[in-house]
Amino acid sequence: MSLTPLARLPRMARPWCGIFLLLIGTSGTLSAAELKVNEARLRLLPGDLPAAGYFILVNPSETNITLTGADSPAFGNVMMHRTVNQDGVTRMQPVAQIELAAGEQIEFAPGGYHLMLMKRTRSLAIGDDIEVTLFFANGQQQSITFRAVSPTIQ
Amino acid sequence: MRRWIMTAFASLWLVGCGEQAWQTKDISGLMPPLAFELVDENGNTVNAERFLGKSTLLFFGFTHCPDVCPTTLARLDAATQRMDEAARDDIQVLFVSVDPRRDDPETLRTYTDAFGPRFIGLTGDKEALEELTRRYRVTYGYGEEDSNGNYDVSHSSAVFAFNDQGEARLLIRDSDPMEAMVADLERLAGDT
Repeated sequence: MSLTPLARLPRMARPWCGIFLLLIGTSGTLSAAELKVNEARLRLLPGDLPAAGYFILVNPSETNITLTGADSPAFGNVMMHRTVNQDGVTRMQPVAQIELAAGEQIEFAPGGYHLMLMKRTRSLAIGDDIEVTLFFANGQQQSITFRAVSPTIQ
Repeated sequence: MRRWIMTAFASLWLVGCGEQAWQTKDISGLMPPLAFELVDENGNTVNAERFLGKSTLLFFGFTHCPDVCPTTLARLDAATQRMDEAARDDIQVLFVSVDPRRDDPETLRTYTDAFGPRFIGLTGDKEALEELTRRYRVTYGYGEEDSNGNYDVSHSSAVFAFNDQGEARLLIRDSDPMEAMVADLERLAGDT
């Protein structure tokens, strides 16, 4: 009474269906640069203190892109910032946009570029997955899942 | 050949050890001893004498600082985690908020607790903060408020280290390698 190949077909076909749907879904944005995001993490401080978002954005495509901002349903306000250190004094500078050339990558890392995420819309805990959308000048958007980490993680 | 190289390295290491040079910036005699009158995480007025008997790391910052302050505090935490247990227990970190408008004692307590029991939050009124920052030639300032009422606070990112008598010893910067910090903090813990 083993399963016939025919009975197994729908299950095997499922991934192909998914890929087919994905192709239909993305056909409108075929010109968009395919981006990769690595090491997305959100350093969570207690209470409603602003959190910092770090990640590596890779542009393996042949198109230059411009990152213009970010948004998250878990926060009321997300800003791109850069920490600058001048004569031993640090301050944060708002960043309007970042150019990312074809084949290049940019790192949002402690002491440099970071997302500042403010005004939580829900309570967040270390270990949570948090959705963030990146916006680009060409209208492209990229969804990223950030993992909330302890502030003692560097 | 290999043995010769090892011997050469070993003697270099011994020379370094013999000199007992600090690896971060030595400020012995260049900065005054630890002194202040501030408000602690419980809202009580405290002065520096209360913290003598342990080595003290002094850092100026503010809690609405998502990047630099947690990065520096996390580095100090990582460095102390690498130390021998006995030496580690000799280290306390004083986080002085230069943003008393937003950092009340309760906010400070929750904030420093996130980094561990070694971290103690302090703040004070404008006068007390100006006196302390002037004493260590540290600057801070407030940026413009945005539409959300948020504002940036510029501040010195260096950490001042004092021995258990409150004598100034080191200036530790973000650019100092972790190994240098660990070595210096272990030496500081044994410095009386």
